Amino acid sequence: MNSGPRSNGSQLEPLLRVSGLGKHYVQRRPFSRAKIAVDAFRDVSLAIFPGKTLAVVGESGAGKSSLARCIALLERPTTGTIELAGTNLAALNGKALFSMRREVQLIFQDPSSALNPRLTACEIIAEPLLIQCEGTNSQRRARALQLMEQVGLDPAWERKRPLEFSGGQRQRLAIARALALGPHLLILDEALSNLDAANQTLILKLLTELQLAHSLSFLHISHDLRLVSEFADDVAVMYQGRIVEWKSTRNLFASPEHSYTRELLASARSVESILLERSA
Amino acid sequence: MRYLAQRFVHSALLLFAVSIFSFAILQLAPGDYFTPIRLNPQISAHTVAALRSQFGLDKPFPIRYGHWLHSVLHGDFGTSFAYGTPVAPLLAVRARNTLLLTGTSLLLAWLLAIPLGIGSAAHRGKWSDRAGGIVTSSLLTVPDLVLFLALLLLAVRTGWFPTGGMMSAGFEDLGIGGKARDLAIHLFLPALGLVLATLPPLVRHVRSAMIEVLEAPFVRAARAHGIPERRVLLRYALPVAANPLITLFGYSIAAMLSTSLLVEMVLSWPGVGPLLVDAILAKDVYVVVGAVMLSSVLLVAGNLVADALLFATDPRIRMD
Amino acid sequence: MHYFSRQIRGFGWTDVLTQRQKLAWAVVALAAFSGVVLFAGFFAPYDFATQDRDTPFAPPTAIHFVDAGGTFHIRPFVYGPGDSGQSAEGSAQGSDQRYPLRWFVRGAAYKIAGLATSRVHLFGVERPARIFLMGSDGYGRDQLSRFLYGGQISLLAGLIAAILSVSIGILVGGIAGYYGGWIDELLMRGGELFLALPWLYLLFAVRAALPLHISQWQVFLLLISVMGLIGWARPARLIRGVVLSAKERNFVLAARGFGASDAYLLRRHVLPQTYAVLLTQVTLLVPQYVLAEVTLTFLGLGVGEPMPSWGALLTSLQQYSVLSSYWWMFLPALLLIPLFVVFYSAADALQELHKSVPL
Repeated sequence: MNSGPRSNGSQLEPLLRVSGLGKHYVQRRPFSRAKIAVDAFRDVSLAIFPGKTLAVVGESGAGKSSLARCIALLERPTTGTIELAGTNLAALNGKALFSMRREVQLIFQDPSSALNPRLTACEIIAEPLLIQCEGTNSQRRARALQLMEQVGLDPAWERKRPLEFSGGQRQRLAIARALALGPHLLILDEALSNLDAANQTLILKLLTELQLAHSLSFLHISHDLRLVSEFADDVAVMYQGRIVEWKSTRNLFASPEHSYTRELLASARSVESILLERSA
Repeated sequence: MRYLAQRFVHSALLLFAVSIFSFAILQLAPGDYFTPIRLNPQISAHTVAALRSQFGLDKPFPIRYGHWLHSVLHGDFGTSFAYGTPVAPLLAVRARNTLLLTGTSLLLAWLLAIPLGIGSAAHRGKWSDRAGGIVTSSLLTVPDLVLFLALLLLAVRTGWFPTGGMMSAGFEDLGIGGKARDLAIHLFLPALGLVLATLPPLVRHVRSAMIEVLEAPFVRAARAHGIPERRVLLRYALPVAANPLITLFGYSIAAMLSTSLLVEMVLSWPGVGPLLVDAILAKDVYVVVGAVMLSSVLLVAGNLVADALLFATDPRIRMD
Repeated sequence: MHYFSRQIRGFGWTDVLTQRQKLAWAVVALAAFSGVVLFAGFFAPYDFATQDRDTPFAPPTAIHFVDAGGTFHIRPFVYGPGDSGQSAEGSAQGSDQRYPLRWFVRGAAYKIAGLATSRVHLFGVERPARIFLMGSDGYGRDQLSRFLYGGQISLLAGLIAAILSVSIGILVGGIAGYYGGWIDELLMRGGELFLALPWLYLLFAVRAALPLHISQWQVFLLLISVMGLIGWARPARLIRGVVLSAKERNFVLAARGFGASDAYLLRRHVLPQTYAVLLTQVTLLVPQYVLAEVTLTFLGLGVGEPMPSWGALLTSLQQYSVLSSYWWMFLPALLLIPLFVVFYSAADALQELHKSVPL
């Protein structure tokens, strides 16, 4: 099993460490009493370092997203621990869980479904503050406007509804909302996949800036290796619900070990190599 | 087969629940059939108590229900206080009349709805479809009560039809042909009313089901193969559209039964409706419960038939 | 009763107007009608219970602008009852005495919304003339006044019952849809029970349970409660559907990620998605319940005399003599039709509008 990209005399303490994490779903077959346990993922051990980005790549399927949701505390894993600042997040309940939610936030793949179409931009961004009972109305609004500026949205648009924004702008809204509580870890669940290439670049730029400014860590779930190569510091490869390889980006692309990793890399050809093949 | 068995059990449970429900509702009523009698100073309290005891009205609810259920399963629906006769034969006659009316109307309504609906769908957007749409809408908005009263008005003003009842005086003396004609003329207005009341939604649903099917790719493919339109409609589209329509059939039975009560009242058709209303006014418990149970049974039976039809025609259900 | 859902596209004539226009017209018409009914005391020339044994079954009073001598008068007038007294038909020319129509007359006292009292009526004529714009019934009561007052009873009954049904519907549908599991199963099976029965029979059965000799107000309230209690199943099912899909939306999940409680999620994110369905349901249910009340009263099981529920106005139509001789008694029934047209137009428009609003 891999011991991670920084196992060689690691200088940094990980922000979040996942050990032996697993989740299975129990399903009942229709018209029968038999129950089947379906594994989403098993025996996942990873570490995310402060100010760094860890990408998780692999086949499409519930595994990666399920992992993302468990770490984001939206679902509960069936085995394993999630350690942050000495606490096992997977075992928390009640008030402790409530306050720990500030640390980790998730950005969804489709911003249209992640934003309530009836609310205004300001209400959406301020909602986390409202739920966590922070500040007065005007304080929350001020903070929301501030966040809008940070993500590159014109604060004058505070009263607009999500439908009035473009796809890229909606994702910025979602990011602003995620930042409201000052999390240390942002999970991007295929957050760039629904955007066109131009918007992808812009949002990527924004995320990099934010990472530097606030020392944020990112967990980037993606199937797009090009993005990963641009953005991630470390990469973990998921195959059939398990992590088969976990290295720094450079090492992974340079010397992939697992057969699946090699397959993945091989199928992700660059535009130039494709054109080269066709003209031959 | 399991599907049908499931539906059957489901229906039985439903009926059971209905019986408890109707019985319970009636027990909630303060006072009973004998309450007005008790107000009469000439009848001693002792007599009233004896009467109540004789009819078992002084026992607690579960026991009364138990007795009733037991009797029902043996075909005994209790006794009517008002008529002094057993409920079952009373209900049977009325039920026969209601079934005659409802059955005829159901048949007629569907016989009309299907061609009208198909025709509308086939000529969608054209003049005839729009005209049909307007007529349907107009009929839909007229409240049933108003419709039936209008029919009654028609009967009174023109004298073409009898204003109530199921047979004329001297019915017994008529020959078979005469009896049939007499029955038909008495049946005409109530049936017409029921059909007019329930036809519009049926036509609309048939039309929309057909339209949906006609837009499906396989229909277009059939047309592209040069199959004549009539065949496309009847042999290709209709069978597929049949599925939701069979479900609708089940619902239409419920609607028909419900509306038949009103028709019977307004046009004086001697069915279960008038019996029920009178029983309510007289607090004739067993008649009321019997009538409600009867209508529920008819309904559930109708739905079961619809389920069976669905099972027979839709292969998808059989796959399970 | 229209048992089937009225999802089918509506009226031919209004294809011309847009849905919004249709809805606007319908709402205006309903508001106007409700206004008139609410202030029935003002708009009606007489009280609903005032009997006039001198003029039973009087046909609608003719309003004239030109008198027998051929003179035109700006102010319309009616002729008084003849010296020979009343009688059903042809009493119009009873006397030559003209009684001009007056506006804002003082008449019988009435209460406005149960609070203030007033004696001002929109129009009227001096005694002994009568102005029966819709004729009078067997007791000489003005049908127009009874129709307007009747609206208060029947419309109110329909409205309250509809709101009651929909409220129970939100509660049950919301809980069933949100929590799922056995609660969902239980509640929906219960609903099936209610949906599977012929509702009119059910209504009657419940009505049978109610004591027959209780005050009018109690009957009214009980009637409303019963109707409301029976009809919750369909709204509940529809709301449950909306809640089921709404609770899976990512924005609900996101809010959960901020630590939102179930109550907050329901209140802020899930239930607002049901508003469209709620409104449409209420618009559909009100006419159904109004009709239910009218039917029950017509059959003698509802609000009784002298309360002029519309059903009571129609009861006399069951008599042969009335049907054959007194055509104006049918007018209340006819007036119900446009009312229902308006209701169903509004409901259709709402349904169409909400289909196109992205959720």
